[in-house]
Amino acid sequence: MYKYIIRRILVFIPMLFALTVMVFALAQAAPGDPFTGRMLDPTVNPEVYQQQREALGLNDPYPVQYMNWMKNILQGDFGNSIYYNGRSVLELISQRFANTLYLGLFSLTITLVVSIPIGIYSAKKPYSILDYATTGFGFLGLAIPNFFFGLIAIYIFAIHFGWFPSQGTVSSNDVTGFAELIDRLHHLVLPGITLGLAGTATYMRYMRSEVLDVLGSDYIRTAKAKGMSSNNVLYKHTLRNALIPIITLMGIEFGVLVSGAVITEQVFNFPGLGTLFLQSITNRDYPVIMSINLLFGVFILVGNLLADIFYCVVDPRIRYD
Amino acid sequence: MKNKKYWWMMLFILLFSTLLVACGNDEEEETTADNNNDPVETEDPQDNEPSTSRLTGAIHSAPTGLFNPIFYTETYENNILSFTHEALVSQNNNLEFIPQLAKDWETNEDQTEITFFLEEDVTWHDGEPFTAHDVVFTYKTIADPEYGPAGGVRTNFVEPLLGYEAYSSGETDEFVGVTADDDHTVTFHFEAPNVNPLYYSSFSIIPEHIFSDIAVADMPSASATLDPGEVIGTGPFAFTDMVEREQYILTSYENYWQGQPKIDEIVWRVVNHSVMTGLLQTGEVDFIADPEGIAAADYETVEGFGNITIVEQADFGYQLMGFKLNHRTSEDVENGVIDPDNWVENEKVADPLVRQAIAQAINRPGFVNGLLYGRGEVINSPIAPQFWAYTDDVNQNEYNPEAAMALLDEAGYVDVTGDGFRETPDGEEWVLNLDYPQGNELRERSAPIIQENLQEVGININLRQPKEFSAYAEELENDDNDMDLYLIGWSLSSTDPDPSGLWNTTAAYNFSRWNNPESVELLQKALAAPEAFEQDYRTAVYHDWQNLFTEDLPAVILYAQNKLYAYNDRLNGVDPLPYSFINNPHEWWIEE
Repeated sequence: MYKYIIRRILVFIPMLFALTVMVFALAQAAPGDPFTGRMLDPTVNPEVYQQQREALGLNDPYPVQYMNWMKNILQGDFGNSIYYNGRSVLELISQRFANTLYLGLFSLTITLVVSIPIGIYSAKKPYSILDYATTGFGFLGLAIPNFFFGLIAIYIFAIHFGWFPSQGTVSSNDVTGFAELIDRLHHLVLPGITLGLAGTATYMRYMRSEVLDVLGSDYIRTAKAKGMSSNNVLYKHTLRNALIPIITLMGIEFGVLVSGAVITEQVFNFPGLGTLFLQSITNRDYPVIMSINLLFGVFILVGNLLADIFYCVVDPRIRYD
Repeated sequence: MKNKKYWWMMLFILLFSTLLVACGNDEEEETTADNNNDPVETEDPQDNEPSTSRLTGAIHSAPTGLFNPIFYTETYENNILSFTHEALVSQNNNLEFIPQLAKDWETNEDQTEITFFLEEDVTWHDGEPFTAHDVVFTYKTIADPEYGPAGGVRTNFVEPLLGYEAYSSGETDEFVGVTADDDHTVTFHFEAPNVNPLYYSSFSIIPEHIFSDIAVADMPSASATLDPGEVIGTGPFAFTDMVEREQYILTSYENYWQGQPKIDEIVWRVVNHSVMTGLLQTGEVDFIADPEGIAAADYETVEGFGNITIVEQADFGYQLMGFKLNHRTSEDVENGVIDPDNWVENEKVADPLVRQAIAQAINRPGFVNGLLYGRGEVINSPIAPQFWAYTDDVNQNEYNPEAAMALLDEAGYVDVTGDGFRETPDGEEWVLNLDYPQGNELRERSAPIIQENLQEVGININLRQPKEFSAYAEELENDDNDMDLYLIGWSLSSTDPDPSGLWNTTAAYNFSRWNNPESVELLQKALAAPEAFEQDYRTAVYHDWQNLFTEDLPAVILYAQNKLYAYNDRLNGVDPLPYSFINNPHEWWIEE
């Protein structure tokens, strides 16, 4: 097991290296550079942008730029943002990382709490009214675009009823301690539900079909035949086997969760990594684009590794030697 | 067995945490009601009398965080800096310069010097006195060789100053462009007689005592630039606190030289634009101003709220469809050279009759009525209508498809193949490529309408896919391509109407690559001393230039959009300037 983990981590190294090359090449391949989009203020002399390009080394040949970047990355220096005029990329990312993580975890929690029990229940009583209702809800949840659901939620719950705040992550800096925790959670409710909606629908459908699948298998029939109560069959034998694909899904989701949710973040003005990423792409802010891509890459690799490890926990038949 | 319990425990914890959130809601409402420092929860402002008066403004997008007048590049920072920093002179409703930190000024005979007499009891937010040395320091920093490489872009304010070249290239350490005669007198020296010296002296001043120990290269990352409480200006409000990318809080400066502001706190909240009018209705947001204001489509909704005042005024800017009259060669693009002698004429739009026909074929009033809901106007000349230099007494190119077709026939562009599209006078296929960027919804919607309008008079338009802005800007600039028509919008400066930056032949932003010697001559004449010291003379020259522009037509000005500011009626004393909502905010007051 440990050997397996170490081997997997060693494989990361060439993968990450390949990732840096791709990330760099893709960032540079996009037309324009950090200053082309800015070149449209008639009061600004375009020559200053030329000066800045020179100062930032953007006129150097690509291999030189790549080597400089890699050299700094290896020393733990992710460079400075161009759009944010020299602010450290790490600082920008860390500011938003916490928000993204809270939002992601919160919505994942909602997703799991809602979808797993409903999924199990509708598998237990397939083609019941509740099953049809949740299936309907599931497709609706998948079909409604995030921003639309978000705006509806804001108009109903924030503007009309005034139950939840609609924008931002916290009321003000004056709120501290436990009150701050509550305040932040309060701000998380609407974006969390909005973001969790599609996930809930997906997980619910997965759970239902997996449980149904497992319930039809031979060993379940055996368990039933030897007189086990149906609840026991469900929770002891079925659930664990049905969870495996869900774990795979979550392994992938882990990367997605960290990569943020651009649309939800923007509708609720919830400053997270997604918005930063999008903004850095529109502004061709190379250092930020590349660092965030690397970060996403690492998280997706780690997420998949964690999923593989969890398989062993859930299913003792799976062994890594 | 053990595992089963474990799973249930996980679920239980998750459920519990959601319950906690649900309970938290009530709790928070109670605490806020006690503190009264959170307007978010107050649905009816009359319910509670806040001990501090607080005003909330909304912006669509967060500033990048550079709260330094000489380094910021985004308009969102400007919303904060307009409260915190001041310049020697400001502008009034007629766009004339009026005293701000300078109470008076005088120029010498040939306008190579302008001397300002400063207000004497002005202090910075940290209590230090404001002096002429701060003015010298500000301009010296902008002229510094390190300023451009550090990310500064405002060098156009120092370029005409005496000795700028020598100082900015590092040849000399002595800065002679701006000098302090004594603590409260400062003189600007220009290399040549200057037509609008007040424009060059209208830049916001930064404090020398804060920045003098910081190398210019380090200023953008200094805490005095980035951090609330450390950003020091002379304005009526100090920038004191922020929740980055969400809220920016300004607190009244009690020793403000024009008297303490009547409002204690102004909060800028970053709000998604779809939610903005809703928050205006609930009172969570008190005003929406620059840069976007409210959308024309929302005008009636907002008016219907009953307690909101809407200010509608012309914006400084316009949208245009330009003709690529010339293209640069690949070699020039490669070397970054703008040399009209090397330009390659674009024969497809070379005939002025064709350009006029195109202008007359486009239903511009339709844009104003349809896209802008009537909240804008059709203008013909590329000078902001608010300026003394503007004239509407020019070639109108009114919408008239029949006249457009007649002009095209006259120019020899007729349909010889019978496919419904006109051919060139030589009988060759004539297709115009129209490019446009993403990012401005109204502009994106106008492109297919233009195509339709032009096809109605028989012009074959190849409407390209809209491009993402950075990619588009690069193609527009490096124009060794087959672009014929392009859409772009310009925001104009409110300080001086001189259009050379956009339309002078060698200007980088002259994307039409309009090469007209007469235009160059007129633009120079309008800035040539000593005749141009007289505004009437400049006005006359600019009128001639605008006539020339609308006849030679390097671009069709499509429309100028109106700006719609909206504010809650509890805010009083608002007196918006033609270019800004924020004017004398220390006079604003709140009536509950």
